Amino acid sequence: MNRKDFITKSGITMGGGLLAPYILPSGRLFAKTASMKADHVVLVMFAGGVRQQESVLGRYLEDSQGVSGAAGNIMPNLFEGDAPNKKIAYGTSVAGEPLGSEPIPRLLNQPMEKLGLLFPEMRAQSAGHYVGLNTLLTGNPGVSQGLRVRPSYPTIFEYLRKHAGFKATDTWFIGNGIGNSTPLLNSSNNKDYGLPYGGNMFAAPVTFSATGKEVLGNAKIYSNMDLEPMYFMKNFLDQSFALTNDQISSVSNTDEEKIQIKDFIKSVFAKQQTGQLAKPPIAGNGDALNMMYAAEVLREFKPKMLALNISGVDTCHSNFTSYLQNLHRADHVTAWLWQHIQYNIPEMSGNTIFIVAPECGRNLNPNPILDRNDWYSYDHSDSNARRVWGLMLGKGVPNIRIGSEAQPVGRLTDIVPTIADIFGVLDDVKNAGLIDPLARSLYQRV
Amino acid sequence: MPNFKLNAWIIYGLFLCTSACTKERIIGYEIDQVNVLEDKSLKTKKKNDAEFISILYTNLYQSAISPNQLYKTQNVLYSIGDQDVGNEMLLSNYFNTSGITIPKDAVMRTDIDAFIINTFKRFYLRYPSEGEKVFFNQFITNNKAVTVEMVYTAFACSKEYQYY
Repeated sequence: MNRKDFITKSGITMGGGLLAPYILPSGRLFAKTASMKADHVVLVMFAGGVRQQESVLGRYLEDSQGVSGAAGNIMPNLFEGDAPNKKIAYGTSVAGEPLGSEPIPRLLNQPMEKLGLLFPEMRAQSAGHYVGLNTLLTGNPGVSQGLRVRPSYPTIFEYLRKHAGFKATDTWFIGNGIGNSTPLLNSSNNKDYGLPYGGNMFAAPVTFSATGKEVLGNAKIYSNMDLEPMYFMKNFLDQSFALTNDQISSVSNTDEEKIQIKDFIKSVFAKQQTGQLAKPPIAGNGDALNMMYAAEVLREFKPKMLALNISGVDTCHSNFTSYLQNLHRADHVTAWLWQHIQYNIPEMSGNTIFIVAPECGRNLNPNPILDRNDWYSYDHSDSNARRVWGLMLGKGVPNIRIGSEAQPVGRLTDIVPTIADIFGVLDDVKNAGLIDPLARSLYQRV
Repeated sequence: MPNFKLNAWIIYGLFLCTSACTKERIIGYEIDQVNVLEDKSLKTKKKNDAEFISILYTNLYQSAISPNQLYKTQNVLYSIGDQDVGNEMLLSNYFNTSGITIPKDAVMRTDIDAFIINTFKRFYLRYPSEGEKVFFNQFITNNKAVTVEMVYTAFACSKEYQYY
């Protein structure tokens, strides 16, 4: 080899060595970061089926139960409007007073509506819970989506990991239980994406339950000195048993990420023991519990993208009073999470975009089930169940209200392109051709 | 003449008796003893959660897991996105309990080859390949800190153990 050849070849080799580590799974050389609007996104899937009438429209009992003069806003942290002053049953209970007669004091100085972007009249693409959650996470209407199977279309976690180069612990889904196929929402079964790009997941109220503690809480804490040979031997064994992509059945974290997750689980059990877990002031239901664990995940991992679901309002099928109480509490715990990020997680404070949207609405007309207050209950199957709202606030989000009852703007399938837009990978997501063709980033709707 | 006839009959009778009584031969067929073991390349079916947990439990405790414990364990593992993390924590939880049946570290160090073969049979239901034997022998010999628990953890958390 002559001198010229040597210099050329060694130059190419050096260049390749320098560039190769930066090639993303999608094949792109660098993550598209120029147009990132924020470093973190938290998506609260305000699920369980929320009627427009009792939420953004502030109609309380006037529309649902025909109680004249009983309109009012029971979600003071999210929306503007005076509270109802008649037949108050959505609050907490105080001894000697009627049940639920004490509304929870507002946490935020201003409602979120005044801090960001409100789409008061959006359209859901389905009237069901699982498909609705799928829609929020995949940007696809999911008309053929079955239960007990992973989403058919890639989730936002996969898009971000593949196109923005996020690592597994950058993306989290915090589910509120293991029922209703919820634990399957961290990844799709799409052959081009799937579990190798899936987000991490806890069905937190189960992982950190008493049973969880019994099964996992006594786990040894191995030092890195112990773990290193274990992983070395395991990796040796795994090398000769390679799995194809469709055989992979779990999210893949690096060894370091796994250690961090295990330490985190142990630390949560320890904090439970000493009562050190931060939680909303009123933490009486499963939604509050899930927010509490989501806050812990945010504090520990500072993920780029975290989605969580709550669903307390689903009691509306048979108990309207409980629905109102859970709606009021969902407003409270959602505001608490936002506030918690601002005051307790400095790395995310001022650098996070917070998105809140239900997965579907509820019917216009009630079913015949009466609760203890003789109020009718509501299911979700008609066109009213497709009426939802969406809220977005945080870094650089303008304060505007877009759309109205008469003029709906936005679809739930907009959430995924919006998040992709925030992280600068909107084109990649759209070009994949797997989201709703009518979906647009909410920034483009403004 | 009559005597001649009688003798002929006697001779004929003796002939019949001696020729009909052949000694019976006992014929038996045997088969060679063969150990029936799994082949790695044929392990294509993934154990489901219940199978994985109950096989692991039986392997370590040498007794069956109760249905209630199995149900609880299944739910908790299902609630964690990274199954490896869940499995590793479950295993280390087991190692932190009494009643587990595993060889002592000294036994492993006394005859490393035998330990490797037994471990492969215990977890993978197969013999190790020559390469695997050499790797583990060298690794265990050269790393004095390696314990039986570490080796068992590596096997129980490996991909092959999740398949049959």
